[in-house]
Amino acid sequence: MASRYDRAITVFSPDGHLFQVEYAQEAVKKGSTAVGIRGTDIVVLGVEKKSVAKLQDERTVRKICALDDHVCMAFAGLTADARVVINRARVECQSYKLTVEDPVTVEYITRFIATLKQKYTQSNGRRPFGISALIVGFDDDGIPRLYQTDPSGTYHAWKANAIGRSAKTVREFLEKNYTDDAIANDSEAIKLAIRALLEVVQSGGKNIELAIIRRNQPLKMFSAREIELQVTEIEKEKEEAEKKKSKKTT
Amino acid sequence: MRRAGAPLSGRDGGGDTMAATFFGEVVKAPCRAGTEDQEEEEEGRRETAEDREVRRHLARKREVRLFRRQTKTSLEVSLLEKYPCSKFIIAIGNNAVAFLSSFVMNSGVWEEVGCAKLWNEWCRTTDKTHLSPAEAFCVFYHLKSSPSVLLCQCSCYVAEDQQYQWLEKVFGSCARKNMQVTLLTCRHVTDYKTSESISSLHSPFLKALKTQNFKEPPCCSLLEQPNIVHDLPAAVLSYCQVWKIPAVLYLCYTDVMKLDLITVEAFKPILSSRSLKGLVKNIPQSTEILKKLLTTNEIQSNIYT
Repeated sequence: MASRYDRAITVFSPDGHLFQVEYAQEAVKKGSTAVGIRGTDIVVLGVEKKSVAKLQDERTVRKICALDDHVCMAFAGLTADARVVINRARVECQSYKLTVEDPVTVEYITRFIATLKQKYTQSNGRRPFGISALIVGFDDDGIPRLYQTDPSGTYHAWKANAIGRSAKTVREFLEKNYTDDAIANDSEAIKLAIRALLEVVQSGGKNIELAIIRRNQPLKMFSAREIELQVTEIEKEKEEAEKKKSKKTT
Repeated sequence: MRRAGAPLSGRDGGGDTMAATFFGEVVKAPCRAGTEDQEEEEEGRRETAEDREVRRHLARKREVRLFRRQTKTSLEVSLLEKYPCSKFIIAIGNNAVAFLSSFVMNSGVWEEVGCAKLWNEWCRTTDKTHLSPAEAFCVFYHLKSSPSVLLCQCSCYVAEDQQYQWLEKVFGSCARKNMQVTLLTCRHVTDYKTSESISSLHSPFLKALKTQNFKEPPCCSLLEQPNIVHDLPAAVLSYCQVWKIPAVLYLCYTDVMKLDLITVEAFKPILSSRSLKGLVKNIPQSTEILKKLLTTNEIQSNIYT
């Protein structure tokens, strides 16, 4: 049945599926994992870095991009589609600021991106964008926000979420471990993001990239050394927890 | 763009009738009146000598040949006739091959006993005679310390018309006694038939399909109906079912078809099966070997980030 209704995006199947949109969601799963966490005073974005070819300039392979000074996003899926969406979002952020003299709210720019994606699910001869995005930032009211969009053009606010390959595993980890204690302070929220990624990342800390935004502060990208330090701390804590556990049982 | 539902006039004079569906697609409607120009059509279908020559040439090109790489001689009899075995483990596809390479082949000395060379449209190389080991291959090994254990690493695609030839050259055409076959392969999770939505499935996951004579309990749950498998694994299973050979196929459904650590590790439950248990020695070392294999074989693709 699918083969007759997945040729043109504008066609519904008899049981109400838009197969191209569902296939676009499969394309998202081909991208590496990205995780977003909303803390009390911080928002964290962590991504699994794809290994870069020897001759490739690492700076041009980025999964985390700033949309404005106070908003950034991570994506998973088709690289080229992401570039187009990010460009449009960045232009919109500046256009909005020049028009109303206020920076965009995270919800506004998310809604803009989601509307753009939805347009491509209803247009003649176009295919949907094959990316999902995690958009984080702080609004003027000082409240941290995390939103997720997908190829169908829907967007929702989340406390923590993951997209891309193995997103399901990471989301289950987050469901178990996202507690008030886990986001009690900034460093705990950062550790939670790294721990979630370590569940699925293939070679540990050197394949992780991390970005944070603190209230009234610009985006900060963690260096490889800072991430290694965090990973070492996490491994130490894990060992201590296991030692305590084995002591209790004996 | 033509609006859906617009009537379409038949483009051909007679014979073929075209009809437009509600959705604007054009389908060929069968004409029950029969065609007037049957004689002309038959003439077109008659084979010329040239056609026959082309067909012969194609058949020769697509022939499956089994030979020994060291001596460059072809095998005159089927592989199992020359090397009878009690355990035959076959890995089909790059993830299954990587699993056997890291977990089974590094725990023991394996000697190459044969190699299958074949060409079809899926092959990247046009030169049939010089297939290098780095490209898609189909190689057979036996364990030096226990020659009754045979292993096949098949990372090339065997087309439908070649599967019978492959079976003939490898299994031969008579019953093999006291042999057990274990197959490993991967399929994309969208091939898995289920009433649930695919996004709710926890891939990769393992499913098993076995022949009637396979009495051991498999290492994972059986593939539910409609339990359809494809390609070479299906051909081997059918052969084993017909010749009453106990065989089991472990099928890993994954959403990453290229070489991937998590997909390869999904085969791990098989290590506890009777056929593989004696063959695996050092699992932590195997995981390291697997990681190395993955990094060396990683194809740089910038399409997805």
